[in-house]
Amino acid sequence: MHLLVQAVILGILIGGVYALMASGLTLVFGIMRVINVAQGAMVILGAYLSYTLFSSVGIDPLLSILLIAPVMFALGVGIHRVFIRALRAESGEEMSLLVTWATALAIEGVLSVTYTTNLRSTIPGYAQRSWIILGYRVAEVRVFGFVISVVILSALSLLLARTRFGRSVRATVQNPTSAKLLGVDADRVSALGFGIGISTAAAAGAVFGIIYPFNPGSHYDLISRLLSIVVLGGLGSLGGAVVAALLLGVGESVVAVMISPSWSSFVFFIVLIVILVFRPQGLFGVRERGAL
Amino acid sequence: MSRGRWGGVATFVALAALVGAACSSKGTNSTNTKPIVIGISLSASGDFSDPSAAAKKGYELWAKTVDAHGGIMGRQVQLKIVDDTSSPDQVVTNYQNLITKDKVDIVFGPFSTLLSAPAAKVANRYGYAFIEPAGGGPAIFDENLHNIFFVQPAPVVDSGTVFANYILSLPADQRPKTAGYPELDDPFAAPIAETVRQKFEAAGITTVFKQIYPAETAEFTTIVTKLAHASPDIVVGGTQVADAFGLVKAMISEKFSPKFLFLSNGSNDPVNFPDKIGASNVNGVFGAGDWFEDEKSPGNAEFVAAYHAAYGPGPIDSTSAEAYACGQILQAVVSKVGSLDNGKIIAALHQGSWASVEGNLSWNSVGEPQGQDLLVEWIGGKLVPVYPASVALAAPTIPKPNWAG
Repeated sequence: MHLLVQAVILGILIGGVYALMASGLTLVFGIMRVINVAQGAMVILGAYLSYTLFSSVGIDPLLSILLIAPVMFALGVGIHRVFIRALRAESGEEMSLLVTWATALAIEGVLSVTYTTNLRSTIPGYAQRSWIILGYRVAEVRVFGFVISVVILSALSLLLARTRFGRSVRATVQNPTSAKLLGVDADRVSALGFGIGISTAAAAGAVFGIIYPFNPGSHYDLISRLLSIVVLGGLGSLGGAVVAALLLGVGESVVAVMISPSWSSFVFFIVLIVILVFRPQGLFGVRERGAL
Repeated sequence: MSRGRWGGVATFVALAALVGAACSSKGTNSTNTKPIVIGISLSASGDFSDPSAAAKKGYELWAKTVDAHGGIMGRQVQLKIVDDTSSPDQVVTNYQNLITKDKVDIVFGPFSTLLSAPAAKVANRYGYAFIEPAGGGPAIFDENLHNIFFVQPAPVVDSGTVFANYILSLPADQRPKTAGYPELDDPFAAPIAETVRQKFEAAGITTVFKQIYPAETAEFTTIVTKLAHASPDIVVGGTQVADAFGLVKAMISEKFSPKFLFLSNGSNDPVNFPDKIGASNVNGVFGAGDWFEDEKSPGNAEFVAAYHAAYGPGPIDSTSAEAYACGQILQAVVSKVGSLDNGKIIAALHQGSWASVEGNLSWNSVGEPQGQDLLVEWIGGKLVPVYPASVALAAPTIPKPNWAG
């Protein structure tokens, strides 16, 4: 029983960080129907930027989010302006897969040249410390990562629910043509949405770099998990991504501890397939636009 | 035709043969002054680009050193290195071209078993010896080829044997009673731990934990949670590099510190291991390796000095030493047989032992080296050979101290 509870706690903490990584992916899909397969590469880029600031200047990797998130927001807006906007004119949802995949490979290539393919880890003083709470051991960095995820996801949720920009986003998600007729600047909304999606990857990357060793190729495993999360949660659904990420985290953790790590990913994908058979739109998705 | 006329023809033929022989002799002398060309395929890109770069340094350093001393049989050495992009298909094409188009005299191996196994088959087809630095997995020896010579002290699957031998050499009251085996599902990892497990179980050390995890595993806290629950005296990790770092980081975070910890890969990396888990946490962790900078193997001091002179200070990747050793072995065997005939080289290498920076090496009929690796331990923040006693630079420090955090 102790092992089971320990596994559930760990799974929730893992799931929180995955939710942050997946939130940008689902946000971008919701707004502009672009499946950004470069999201994993963006997380790894964020991990490298945080690692660099920590190892060269000594800036705490979690505090470095305040610096790298704006930079990657600007990068996201730039990518949208140069590549994604041109595709939208041709309704190139499929082409966006190729463009974002090319972006992922370009990022991987630049990182490989800059940092080599050796594994890196960001190791601040708290990276390997843990607390014992009610008899259960909890790694400090995972708690910090979870809290950061909750804060950012809450801020994102408030942004979407309570601001004029958020209303524009939701209007675009629900009906882009009507939103344009009502004066919403869809290009601006898309560009800012893409930038926000990328900046969440930056924040998640800083946390990821402390918990896991990474190299430029780490995005391949990551993007498959992130896509699974947003599909399970419902493409375009922020709440769905959070629930799916927690399911992934807890499910994998419990199976790994109680059965075997070899079965953990398999079990998640079985659950994914079963749910999609009965709800093809995912847990919180809808069959038409408007899930966000 | 008269007898006299036949005699004139015979005389002419004899003279022609003499002139031909003279020309041929002159031609041979001319050929003998040409460089000895050694063909090598390495990976300039892809998964094996970094270790290939280290191998290239070793090969080039050996060629430069041997040329500075007059070459081999009075001939300079010229390396023809081509790029395989880490692809098993490209490596086959490369060795095919090196042998049939470029007609190189000798070939050396690429990096990794994945590339060495198919390359060795090409070399074998044309009767070339395949002296190789970094293809020691089961797949290459399963080919049952007679031309392979893996230039390291032991095959990969036996690299944990030296640790098992050390543990079983301890007095009974110091020996661990229980053991745990986290094992990566990889031909270069799990079989190493399994070899150790079989020896330990035969010696009465009880297995209380065994877990095989897939290559895509990124989350090691789940494994360590279960491992800590079993609380073995000794942990033998059948690991590659990334998972070794992940396992140790999780052990530190979970505050689980066994009395003995051996990792088949990862802990033997003098640069990345302390960098990834924290320099204050390395002490007491065991690893195994084929070569270390301070070891007293034949020509090692010269190699280390030449390496630093050529490439500057800093740690030396063992792959560079392995590649350099390939050159040493070739130089020794060619000097012995007095020929670049690959058949003679193959036959000679299967006899006796051959000195190199990797130690004195000998091989069985399929190219498996017959020695054992060195056991190393992190002591005082440095990676030190500790077993067997003949090569140890310090006594092992046991039990492992707790993690510094």
